[in-house]
Parts: sequence; C-alpha cells; structure tokens
Amino acid sequence: MRLVANLAALLVVLCLATSAHAHAVLIGAEPADGSVVAEAPRTVVLRFNEAVAPTAVSLLDAAGKPRDVAIRAVDQSVVVTLPAGLPQGTQVVSYRVVSQDGHPVAGSLLFSIGVVTGSAAPSADGVLHTLIWLARLGLYLGLFVGVGGVFFAAWIGQGPAGERLIMWSLKIGLVGAIASLGLQGVDLLNLPLSGIVTWAAWASATGTSLFATLLLAIAAMLIAAIAWRSPSFGAALTRTAIAMICVGLSFAVSGHAATASPQWLTRTALFIHGIGVAFWMGALAPLAVLAWQRKESLLRVLRHFSTLAVPVVALIALSGLALAVVQLESFHALIDTGYGNILVAKLVLVVLLLGLAALNRLVFTPAIAREFHRTRPLQRSIALEFVLMIAILGLVALWRFTPPPRVLAMSADVPLAVHIHTDAAMFQVLIAPGKVGPNDFVLQLMNGDASPFAAKEATLTLSLPERGIEPMERAAARGADGYWHVRKVPLPVPGRWHMQIDALVTDFKKVTLEDDFEVR
Amino acid sequence: MRSQTLLVAMVALLAAQPAIAHITLEGKQAAVGSYYKAVFAVPHGCAGSATIKIRVQIPEGVIGVKPMPKAGWTLDTVTGKYAAQYDYHGAKLSEGVKEVAWSGGKLTDQNYDEFVMQTFLTDTLKPNTTLYFPVVQECEQGVSRWIDIPADGQGGGHDHGSKTPAPGVKLLPKS
Repeated sequence: MRLVANLAALLVVLCLATSAHAHAVLIGAEPADGSVVAEAPRTVVLRFNEAVAPTAVSLLDAAGKPRDVAIRAVDQSVVVTLPAGLPQGTQVVSYRVVSQDGHPVAGSLLFSIGVVTGSAAPSADGVLHTLIWLARLGLYLGLFVGVGGVFFAAWIGQGPAGERLIMWSLKIGLVGAIASLGLQGVDLLNLPLSGIVTWAAWASATGTSLFATLLLAIAAMLIAAIAWRSPSFGAALTRTAIAMICVGLSFAVSGHAATASPQWLTRTALFIHGIGVAFWMGALAPLAVLAWQRKESLLRVLRHFSTLAVPVVALIALSGLALAVVQLESFHALIDTGYGNILVAKLVLVVLLLGLAALNRLVFTPAIAREFHRTRPLQRSIALEFVLMIAILGLVALWRFTPPPRVLAMSADVPLAVHIHTDAAMFQVLIAPGKVGPNDFVLQLMNGDASPFAAKEATLTLSLPERGIEPMERAAARGADGYWHVRKVPLPVPGRWHMQIDALVTDFKKVTLEDDFEVR
Repeated sequence: MRSQTLLVAMVALLAAQPAIAHITLEGKQAAVGSYYKAVFAVPHGCAGSATIKIRVQIPEGVIGVKPMPKAGWTLDTVTGKYAAQYDYHGAKLSEGVKEVAWSGGKLTDQNYDEFVMQTFLTDTLKPNTTLYFPVVQECEQGVSRWIDIPADGQGGGHDHGSKTPAPGVKLLPKS
C-alpha cells in the first residue's frame, strides 16, 4: 500500500510540474508574451491552433489590480479589448478557453508597457488538478475493474466472483464520472474549488465533448450494475456486452487522441484499446477471488481466460502502438515532452505487466494444473498485476494535463501572424510558412471593434526597401471562408519586408494599413 | 556606350513618367467662398487600356455642381443629401450633386482629354488645406482608382508616396 501511496504522490508532483494547458495550443499573441511595448495596446489578440470558445479572460494590471476586459472570439483568435488607462509596467492576461475536443486550456501572457516591473506569475491550482486526476482515476477504475469485472463474470467466469470489489469499483467510477464533470466546469471557468456547487460550473462542463464521454461511461457502469443481477444467463451476456461497447465508445468520443487525424483510425483504436483493457483488468479481481477460495472452477476459468487473453493483449498493444505513432510523430518527443515522458513510464510498466502475465500463463497456471492447492504464487502475481495496472491508469490520467507532441508540433510550424490595428480597421495577416520561398497570405479584415469588415476588393503590396525590392502588388481573392487569400507569393530574400493592404470599402474609399514583418 | 546612353534615357523617361501619369486638377488653388472650375486632366488609360468612364465624387462642402457636357459622352449625376446645410445665393441647400460620371465615350491611351465641371466652394471649407476629389477611371480593361487621400498631418497624396492619389486643389482664404 505504501508503494501505491508513494507512486501516487510522485504522480501528483509530476502533474503539478507540467504546465496547465491541455489541448488547443496558443501559437501566437499580439503583443507577444514577454514583450515590452511603448504604448498601452488597445487589444490583446490570442491566436490558437484551432477555433476555441473563451470562457474567462482576466487582466491583472501592473498595480496588481484586476481589471475588466471585453472578449470576443474570432475564429482561431480571441480578441481581448483592454481598458483605458493601464499603468506603466508588466500586465498579466490570464485566459481560459475550451478547445474543440472539450479540453479546457489555460495560460497567461505577460507584456509590459514601457518598463518591466515585478513578476506576478499566476500559480496553477494544485489542489484542483489533484482532484481532477483522482476523479479521472476513479472513473477508469469503474470502467475497467467494474464494468470489465461484470463482463468477465458473465462471459468467462460464468458465475459471480469478486462481487465486493467490482461493486465498489462501479460506485467509485460513478462518483469519479460525476466529479470529473463538475471539476471540469470549475477548471474551465477558473473558479475556486467551492465553485463546484455553482450551476455555471456544471453548465459550462456540459458544453464540452467530455460530457458525452462521461454520459457513456455512466451508462456503461449503470448497465453493468444492473447486469450483475440479471434474471437469466442470456440477459447477463447481452447486458454486459452492451456495457462494454459503451466503455469503448466512451473513450472514442473525446480526448486528445479521438480528435487526432485520421479519426477513423484513432477512434477505432481507442474503442479497441478501451474494451481490451476492460477485458483484461476486469478479469483480475474475479480470478484472484477464485484462486483465494480455491474454487474447483478456477482451472477451467483460467484456461478459458488465458486462451482469449493472447489475442486481446495483441489488440491492446496494436491499438496502443497506432495511437502512440499518431500522437508522438517522432522519437525525440518521448524525451522532450511531458506527454512522451508519461508514455515512456507507461511502457515500462506495461512491459513489467506483460512479464507478469506471461509468468501467470506459462508457470503459475500449469503449476495449479499439476497441484491444485498451489494457488498462492498466482494470487500474489495477480495482486501485483493489479497494482501495476492502477499505476498505469494513474499515468494515463496525467495526460489530461499534457498536450501531445502532435499538437505541439503544430504550434512550432505555425504561420507568421501580423496584427495591424488602427482606429479605422484591424487586419490580421497570416503568412504561411513565413519563410523564404513561396508564401500563402490570408488577410482577415475586421473593423476597429473586431466586427467583420465588408470589403469590395483587397490588394496586398509587398516590398523590401533595405534590399531595393520595390512594391509588388497582388490582388487578393475572397475565399469561401470569408477571408482574402493571396497564394504563392514569392519572398525571395530574408529581411524586414514591408506590407501594405488596401481594402476597398466603396468605389471612392479605401482603407490602407501597413506594417513590417521579418522573413527568415 | 550608345546602348548605355539609351538605357539612361529610358530610365530617366520612366522616372519622369509618374509625375504626369496621374489624373489631376488643372487649377491648383482656389479660394473658399468662390466658384471653382474643376478641370480633370486625364493623360492616359488604365495600364494602356482605353478609358470609357470617369466618375468623380464631390467632396462635402462643394455645392452648385454643374458638369460640362462632352460630345460623345453620356453625362450622369447622382444627387443626395449633404451632411450640412449651405447658403447658396440666399437659399439653403441641403442636397445636391454628390457624384458626376461621364461614360460611353472612348479615350485611348495615346490621347489626352479634360473633363470639366463648375463648382462652388463653400466657406465652410478650411483654408490652407487640400480639397480632394476622388476619381474612379474605368477602362475597357481594368480600373484605376485615384482615391488615395493622405491622413491628417501628412503631405499631399503624391508626396505621401501613393501611386494613385486623389486629385486635389489647395484652398486659399476667402478673398
């Protein structure tokens, strides 16, 4: 038990050390994080790798006073309108948004007006994260030990065994599922822990894709609980099968991996992985109880399980491998990223687990077949297997706090973003890849108050005065997305390019904005 | 040596061209509170293509607009409400011509022509500023918009570095 406690403590520390953002990634900001600007900007623009819904943005000014801000989501950006009269010094903008896969993403941006002062870095809420992690772990317990256990009893054990553990797991799982929802809401809105009793926390959490996952998980556990008291053998088989399918679907509908492409692959792999693990882990409690009680059915059940376990473990490994390949993208990520580190730790534990499983199958089970009373080694081995599995689940629950390398890689390969803001208009320009060579320009035109800007025509003019490159003019074409596009513009040499955008408002009026951008 | 001279001459020619290449107003200055004959000089088409339509936007504070008909061109005016009410020979004017268009003609790139209108510059206009008349030149192929007006505090459209400045007239104090 002490080992488990220590391991849990270690995991908690690990979880607090990794930064708090999960899925959508902030890929740019204007003014940039850590920058010093001469004058107070009117807005802060946060750019993400995908469209996000802002839930809370707060501003702590240089005097340490919280200030009110207005927020507005414009596609992949969140435009934060700052109040007037910000004092000189370092301001902290904290934001919290929901990404498309339902994960809340939080972070802070520091910028200074005139001079850098203080260093008011906001601290992540450690207690909240520990609770989120525990709730997630409880949920896994309910799904794998609980639902898996009921399934095992019906299909493999063909008789109830390990009832107490299975029922407790289901209860813990249900509590974990409901707590996950409330805590998600608290995290989303950046509320204090007591905010879990507010309606807003629950309402905002139901708007995320995690809600579907939790509903399916709760359904799986309730069906499993009912199946335990099935009137007939046939009913138990059907009900437990439905519960297992709910477990698989629960994993397939949300989370890091479910939103990775190709989705047909990741979602199928998650479905198989979830059901496979539930099958394996669900078997442990009943097997241990059968071995403890030295039931005469033990040997038959063990053999039956062993035969099925080989293909199931193969499926778990295969689906896990597919997911890892999609999420990691490179071997370096195993070492360089928090996500990869967790995966390495998980794989080490999985290898140990497979070793134990092989021992059970090749040594302990034949030993029982020879001398039926020698069940003690098998019991110990199963108990150890169980502890390892819990540790693995604890690690997996940590992924809630680390973005996978696939997402990080997207943020490294982001287009250059230039934000031009005057009284008349606000133009957001994305230059991809933002390097020497052909570049695609996307012009997002907005009025000064971030409302859409209706232009009749738009032209992009580029020049590089320091190298004598005179203005080259390109007409932009309005795309189906409502933005203006100029494709394949050659930027032949590095340097500080000048860009001018002319947007025609009426036949006789146009708005012209200019800015520089650095090409490497 | 000879080809070099030719090159220099060509460069000089090219460099000189922008100065005369704009649509401009012939009368460079006028007093407020007086009539002004606005003559729009059109020295060329749109990148070589023949001009088929000239549209002029009348700036606020300019009233009593009477465009001069042109043989071979159809004259159209767009009237609308002014932003303010102006005194015009004792009468109060709150609406009038806002846009003038000559169309249907054909002015090739090789030729030069002028488009004329009589206007009255009200004394609500600020002396010692430049009054701009944005012009849209439509051609058989393409459009040139002479509509760039420099932001306050900057020099005239051309000094500002714009390729397509709006034609302007310097306003003098009321005489």
